[in-house]
Amino acid sequence: MDFEPKILGIACNWCTYTGADLAGTTRLKYPQNLRVIRVMCTSRINPSFIIRAFQLGADGVLIGGCHPGDCHYNTGNLYARRRLAVTKKILNFAGLEAKRLRVEWISASEGNKFAEVVREFTAQIRNLGPQTKFKISP
Amino acid sequence: MNGKSCCGDIETAGDKMTGFHEIEERLKSEAFRLLQAGEVSVVLAYGKGTDERHPVPFAALTTADVENIVFNEHCTHNMARYLLRYPSGTKIAVALKGVDSRAVVVLIQEGKINRDNLVILGIPTNSMRNQQNGQIIDARTTCGIANPVLFDILLGEEVHEATVASPYDVLAPYEAMDEDARWNFWKTELDRCIRCYACRKACPMCYCDPCFIDVTKPRWANKSPQLAGNLMYHLTRFQHLAGRCVDCGECSRVCPVAIPLYLFHKKVAKDCEEMFQQTAGMRIEDKPVIVDFRVEDSDKILE
Repeated sequence: MDFEPKILGIACNWCTYTGADLAGTTRLKYPQNLRVIRVMCTSRINPSFIIRAFQLGADGVLIGGCHPGDCHYNTGNLYARRRLAVTKKILNFAGLEAKRLRVEWISASEGNKFAEVVREFTAQIRNLGPQTKFKISP
Repeated sequence: MNGKSCCGDIETAGDKMTGFHEIEERLKSEAFRLLQAGEVSVVLAYGKGTDERHPVPFAALTTADVENIVFNEHCTHNMARYLLRYPSGTKIAVALKGVDSRAVVVLIQEGKINRDNLVILGIPTNSMRNQQNGQIIDARTTCGIANPVLFDILLGEEVHEATVASPYDVLAPYEAMDEDARWNFWKTELDRCIRCYACRKACPMCYCDPCFIDVTKPRWANKSPQLAGNLMYHLTRFQHLAGRCVDCGECSRVCPVAIPLYLFHKKVAKDCEEMFQQTAGMRIEDKPVIVDFRVEDSDKILE
């Protein structure tokens, strides 16, 4: 049975989610493995969401937000950048493959970039294989 | 003075260091003076325990209590953890070693305590010993600084060492491991956790009420000590302490199952220093790194 990654996407409403929408309306093709949650800003993201996602079986987590300097709320993504950088370091030191968490800045007009990032990330996760370290087995 | 304290010999690395006995005398004398003058309502220091090797945290409320104060190489507790347990505005005198004073700096940075309500009795020493195994406590298990960074009264001579070891050298073997080896290491260590929360209780920076792990909406983890919940608890705690932990090592010393939490906290502290060029608890004017940002922070930190 081929492994189909389950990837959680968390996208900020104003930039990445809109960019994803643009990818859709322009009929760009990208893998269907991404399940997207919309937040108003990346600063809403609690690092514990990411740990939880891996515990519930996510093979990868992709976070998308506005480019630094362009946050709809001015500074949200600047806090998020620091916070998520620490989360990445923690997951890495705990032994979870660092490549399973990715943070990208994708604006509302970057439909192409969204599709490209999802294609690339899905391929990377497929190569890494199923995430078993954090996943809680029933 | 023949250099021998009532509690055993002191190893001095190089320079002359004030003996523990002398520090104890000065501590008691300052405590007495402050309580008698009514300058403080409580002096947080150390008291006699079951034996010489197990002193306990002690709060002197009256001049009569001062008699019970001790100080020796086993007074390893970080007394900063008790500061927030008193009503806001209480005048407190507190005995702080080097790293303990850094914790107070963080509490002041976070607006949890007023500098004016504290009389800090600073204790310079690099000869503390672990209560459990008697080993010297140095940069391998703690931040390694000998002199308080903040104090009102210094109870001994500042310690000046020829070489100061980096508190991050001890991480090298773990950083060199591959991911799977590191996972196996932490999985084994964290599986032992019994969720007693002694680490949280011992930490001066864990003052949140309620703590995330005790909240039921959302419930981040079950109460039972299983690996999944232990991971959620500890990894989240490492995140919550990023840029705030001062590497005092108390969490690891109080852990009943000897999980080397200090290793992970050191790693996060090292990464925060590299990414944000700031060390926790060194200057009152600093803002903790996670509640701050620079527009010019590099995206490289996300790689």
